[in-house]
Amino acid sequence: MVLMAADSPMIKSQIQNESAAALILKRASLIQQYVTRRETDFIESLTRIIDEYFQDAFAKSKIAQEMTASGNPVALVALGGYGRGEQCVHSDVDILILFEKKLPKGADALVKELVYPLWDARFETGYAVRTVKECLTMAWEQFDILTTMLDARFICGGSHIYSLLMEKFRNRLSKKHIQTSLNRLIDQSQKRYTDYGDSTYLLEPNLKSGHGGLRDYHTIIWYARIMADIKCRKDLERYGFLSHDEFKTLESSLAFIWDIRNMLHYIAGRKCDQLHFEHQVELAKLFGLKDKDGHKAVESFMGELHSKMDFIKQINLMITEDIQLSKKARLFSGIKRATNYKGIIIRERRLEFDTVEIIPNQPDLLLKIFVESGRLKKPLSIDARRIVGEFAYLVDDKLRRDTVNVEMFEQILSNSLWEFNVLNVMLSTGLLVRFIPEFSRIVNKIQYNQYHLFPVDKHSIRCVQIINSFKEKEKDESNQLYAGIYKELRNRRTLLMGALLHDIGKGDPADEHSERGANITRTIMARSGYTASDIEETVFLVRNHLFLMKIATRRDISDEQTAVFCASKIEKIPLLKKLYLLTVADSIATGPKAWNGWTEALLRDLFLKVMGVLKNRELATRKASKTIQRKKDEVVALNQAISMDSSGSWEESLLIKELDCMSHRYLLYVSASEIMTHLSLYRRLEKRDFLWTITSHDDSYIRTITVCGKDKPGFYSKLAGVFFLNGLNIVGSQAYSLGNNTALDIFKVMPPTDRIFENEKWNKAEKEFQQALNDDAFLERLIDKLPRSITPKSGQMPIPNKVRIDNETSSFFTIIEVFTYDFPGLLFAITNVLYKLGLDVRVAMVATKIDQVVDIFYVKAVDNGKIDDPAMGEEIKNSILKALPSVSSPYQMENV
Amino acid sequence: MKKIEAIIKPFKLDDVKEALNEIGIQGMTITEVKGYGRQKGHKEIYRGAEYVVDFVPKIKIEIIVKKERAEDVVSTICKASNTGKIGDGKIFVLPVDEVVRVRTGERGSDAL
Repeated sequence: MVLMAADSPMIKSQIQNESAAALILKRASLIQQYVTRRETDFIESLTRIIDEYFQDAFAKSKIAQEMTASGNPVALVALGGYGRGEQCVHSDVDILILFEKKLPKGADALVKELVYPLWDARFETGYAVRTVKECLTMAWEQFDILTTMLDARFICGGSHIYSLLMEKFRNRLSKKHIQTSLNRLIDQSQKRYTDYGDSTYLLEPNLKSGHGGLRDYHTIIWYARIMADIKCRKDLERYGFLSHDEFKTLESSLAFIWDIRNMLHYIAGRKCDQLHFEHQVELAKLFGLKDKDGHKAVESFMGELHSKMDFIKQINLMITEDIQLSKKARLFSGIKRATNYKGIIIRERRLEFDTVEIIPNQPDLLLKIFVESGRLKKPLSIDARRIVGEFAYLVDDKLRRDTVNVEMFEQILSNSLWEFNVLNVMLSTGLLVRFIPEFSRIVNKIQYNQYHLFPVDKHSIRCVQIINSFKEKEKDESNQLYAGIYKELRNRRTLLMGALLHDIGKGDPADEHSERGANITRTIMARSGYTASDIEETVFLVRNHLFLMKIATRRDISDEQTAVFCASKIEKIPLLKKLYLLTVADSIATGPKAWNGWTEALLRDLFLKVMGVLKNRELATRKASKTIQRKKDEVVALNQAISMDSSGSWEESLLIKELDCMSHRYLLYVSASEIMTHLSLYRRLEKRDFLWTITSHDDSYIRTITVCGKDKPGFYSKLAGVFFLNGLNIVGSQAYSLGNNTALDIFKVMPPTDRIFENEKWNKAEKEFQQALNDDAFLERLIDKLPRSITPKSGQMPIPNKVRIDNETSSFFTIIEVFTYDFPGLLFAITNVLYKLGLDVRVAMVATKIDQVVDIFYVKAVDNGKIDDPAMGEEIKNSILKALPSVSSPYQMENV
Repeated sequence: MKKIEAIIKPFKLDDVKEALNEIGIQGMTITEVKGYGRQKGHKEIYRGAEYVVDFVPKIKIEIIVKKERAEDVVSTICKASNTGKIGDGKIFVLPVDEVVRVRTGERGSDAL
């Protein structure tokens, strides 16, 4: 027969059974008492009254008496949590109805008599009816039956049957089943961890089944029962499974978790072991916690729970290691091996201190054992952990400041991996907090939201581990990028320290944890004797660890300005790489809400674009930033000068806002006085299609025409066309865009040959440009006026026309470079082709030297992207080449 | 009733949310989505390896309103999410047959 659980299937009939009625009353008053007074022995009391029910009902049972009389007596045995005497408010009641040799006919009736009333009383009751032999067979077949047997406790009836079962069970266990049982114990735990996760990390932990939950404690009990047949919890200490201190802490941790579990069952009105957010706030209140110094009550509550669960997890881990190692270690038992450090040895595949006496004189051994643990991937023995915990107080300021120790700590950091978690062990022994006292403020610090999965200390350590995991080669494409970047880094210590300390500012509840964290980091790094540049770099990483993600999700990353802004802030490529890896690791460590394909794609895109800007060394170098700042200041000063003599000045705050919107490229290449001119044009533009001003320079014939207008496709090419139409020879040109879809084009032209009517000429050109804007066909006739061939004036062998398409230099634009010789209408010829192909010219740099020309255009396709399609690239190239006149050599002419 | 589904650029979410708040829209569902339309994906090159962004990250907003309000909502989203560039997104308007508020069982526009 199998164990069955039933969920009070009967209709709520009147409870006729007296014993059950008494039980219901007793339970109700017990719970009432508990909720108001919270006695710690509640679980034992609840167990006791259920025992009393069975004893009472059993004594009154005619069927049971008949069974005894007919020579086949029955024993009632408590199993599971009920067997251990740890009955929580809505825990299951599991019982075994045990017979010696065969099941009598009346067994069904006995079940009805004993178990049904419990169902009616809304106890979740599971029962099994078995013979001794059945129990023994099944115990080795099914692991959960084995564990219920380990917890079995006699309630009433034929005690000799129970004794017989236990005697045979122990006998068989010790003869041939110890190792298999232990193996299954471990397998079962591993499976449980995958199913329920690590409760010490989770914000909605499972009190029972998660790592650190009650099941971990059960596992310790079962282990002790398998090995030594212990009778009660206290035996864990008596038999030496735990030290006195460990046992004491275990007791208080269990009491705390049981208390929470009971109250959770009570407020949920059912058996419920997952501590959901909705119950956490209520429980924190019931536990009498209040918001204090900006820390929420619920955060302190969960913090305490996590630390208790962490303790249970740690002793569970020690015991698990004991089990695993004792298997392998038999061969090695007793043999000591040396390590890199005198005083630390390996015994039974674990690290230990050779003697305890030397530690007070050499406290650095406490660090060294972790260095060796990380290097050799070997755990500390239980004793060694205990010793580290006990001697951690020896770590003082002098030890922290010693460079040798700081270097050892770096080694520990870089060897902290997911599979082998040396940093976590260092945290749980308390040594990490002694070495970095500032860390204590974030230990078990819970962030009460659905975004972070882990408490801050665990999150920080996980972040370090994720960065270390980039060392490994990954098949996954995106991880290859991280691995590649990691490999290129030279100085990784700043990255690892940044990862460990990035959230150190969260100890204080106020906002701006990045800024505060940066200050704390500075203190820690300075104390540890790092160089000024290491300190600055780590401080930068901590201060800006949210920067990239914020930009990636909240700014337009297809806008070049965004990348330039990031690049100017970060300035150096290695620093960008570190900040990127830190952002990735931080997001992964936070949880799936922070890290998924969506955020990953945005962040990677931003990183690659910022990288592109930094590599070009044009727009975002420190020198560029300085130039830009100086220029902004100049413009502001110019404006102040104007405001002295009244009209045309800007309100300063408005001006600064405008300046901040301008592209770096524009600010780098245009002078302050020109910027002022442009701004006043821009302001006067209003609803007009365009506005231009013409300035002449005293020292040359050249005129500068500055055109400001609504950016429409073809704006630039039509301007070039109108100048060609009017015989104005363009010697230089720059195109920019100002905010709000406004084009700003600057042309330098040779003035009309007829100077007398110059103004009339300009007026005509202005009208024609308006016509061209309105009518696309207006400039068509010009195409025929372009020359068919040109002969270079310079006396060298002519170079044929060349067009280069560059898609790599910029993440935002396709750059088209045209190499040719100057001729009237050149600019129009090229830009008209670009316009007809639907390309938008965003930046143009046109320069002529004698008659050789390099024209550079930054273009985007209509869809606002680069021209990635190679076929389209070819088409552009060919169309431009076709529009250019062929180059013929002056010497060829003579030769012909 | 109408369901308005808008696909917008991620960084425009705050603007759109604010604009909708201003015209009195209080509830909406947002989802992080990826996709492409005319704004095809693009690629970046890092150390010779190409990183192609074929599906571009976007935000999807879903709002159910009375029929009369649909136009207002659409134009508000349009205005707030417009950067003038391609890739600004699309808005779909769909008919909605029925809405039920689970708690009370109210139906139709009362349940909005």
